[in-house]
Amino acid sequence: MTIQRTYEEINTKIRSGKAVIVTAEEIIPIIEEKGIEKATEEIDVVTTGTFGPMCSSGAIINFGHSDPPIRMQKVWLNDVEAYAGLAAVDVYLGATQLSERQGMEYGGAHVIEDLISGKKIKLKAISRGTDCYPRREIESYITKKSINQAILFNPRNGYQNYNVAVNTSERKIYTYMGILLPDLGNASYSTSGQLSPLLNDPEFTTIGIGTRIFLGGAQGYIVWEGTQFYPQVIKDENGNTIYKGGTLAVIGDLKEMSIDYIRAATFSGYGVTLVVGIGIPIPILNSEIMKNVAVKDEDIWTEIIDYSFPHLKKPSLGRVNYRQLREGKITIQRKDIPTSPLSSYAKAREIAQKLKEEILKGEFLLQEPIQKFPKGNKFKSLLEIR
Amino acid sequence: MLSKKVIFTFSPQNVERPVTYQLIKKYDLWINILQAKFKPSLGGKLVLELKGEKNQIEEGLNFARQIGVGVEFLEQEVLWNEEKCIDCGACVSICPTGVLSLDKETFKLKFDYEKCIVCGNCVEACPLQAIKVTF
Repeated sequence: MTIQRTYEEINTKIRSGKAVIVTAEEIIPIIEEKGIEKATEEIDVVTTGTFGPMCSSGAIINFGHSDPPIRMQKVWLNDVEAYAGLAAVDVYLGATQLSERQGMEYGGAHVIEDLISGKKIKLKAISRGTDCYPRREIESYITKKSINQAILFNPRNGYQNYNVAVNTSERKIYTYMGILLPDLGNASYSTSGQLSPLLNDPEFTTIGIGTRIFLGGAQGYIVWEGTQFYPQVIKDENGNTIYKGGTLAVIGDLKEMSIDYIRAATFSGYGVTLVVGIGIPIPILNSEIMKNVAVKDEDIWTEIIDYSFPHLKKPSLGRVNYRQLREGKITIQRKDIPTSPLSSYAKAREIAQKLKEEILKGEFLLQEPIQKFPKGNKFKSLLEIR
Repeated sequence: MLSKKVIFTFSPQNVERPVTYQLIKKYDLWINILQAKFKPSLGGKLVLELKGEKNQIEEGLNFARQIGVGVEFLEQEVLWNEEKCIDCGACVSICPTGVLSLDKETFKLKFDYEKCIVCGNCVEACPLQAIKVTF
């Protein structure tokens, strides 16, 4: 008998405390023991998780109006500029924006972390002044309690799969993939592999616009495909299927988040970024979905890219799978190279567990996407037109 | 035989004293210089690995203290803030001596101070600024 389930049936089981939920890691031995069909019969939901640097992140903040009121035209939070080209007291604070005084030591992501921890943030705003908003300057302090909204809105998070970064040059380089030592001295990679949300539903069968997710410790939503959304399914010469290019735009209430699951980070010589914790539940609607969540680190392949090459299309030095990467060293050109994950597997595991517990407690229900992601997107480069 | 990693801080007053020579000669210690930073006549820092009997190491360190050399143990000077650490592993591949590794089961960071040579690579590589070298 082939199992078919609906979201409603799963949610009914969750509400009555009868749903069976495991993480994307725990499902692997279950499938190996029982097979896809039996596992599909027994399990309702599989939870995934990731906790890695995601630069395309930021927060929409509404400060409330002062008296006399000001139409803020330039705004700084702890000396980090936020984009104020919106209505009078709305800004968008980008995670990678750097402090004007501290440079790379502090940036938008740190302001976000400080806001979440409840710290006081210094606000400075200037304006030309108008008849309806006469004030031209304000300096004050805000906290997450004093402001109307703080909404995390990240246009591109949760990359499905990412390159392994290496450096063949003779010089140490500082990148968003961390420090890369000369002469293939090390390699860095950044996904949670078999726990990663978009590698467990690689063709976006259950993940789409409206999906409820775990975001930074709170409940959030997928609101759109992420920017640069360009899912590809590549069959390589050894018969491996490589999924890459899927991304998510996500939203959630910053005020409910916890710095256990969202953190500011600085990549030395590169800049500031936000480490975002995302967990997505995959409803086991049928055995096809179960086949997808059966994915293991050794089945997930990615490209080794030379980041010392200063152009957009960087040369590939071959492919490796996440099992090899996670073991701590890979071999390129007969050389053993130590690897660094960048994305925390321990935290990814914790997030998948936490999401599982929230669903088990009936606090987190599954939301069917209200719209699927588009197909056939093209990846466009910026042309220089003179 | 015991092995200890120590950091000596020299002042302008004692920078010209042949301390390592005396540690070898008088206290019979094996010395491995891991790092040395000196500014002539201003003082400097010396990171050493000392090997010897427990009492010899203690007496040698006392001698250094007596002539005014600051003595700290390496584990007091290389600080890993576990609270701040997110176990991302950015540091593990740039460590030349294998001090830093991710546990094969838990994937949490392990810090083996014994192997540290205080190169400072991890300080620069840690995105959370969770590792500090205080000298």
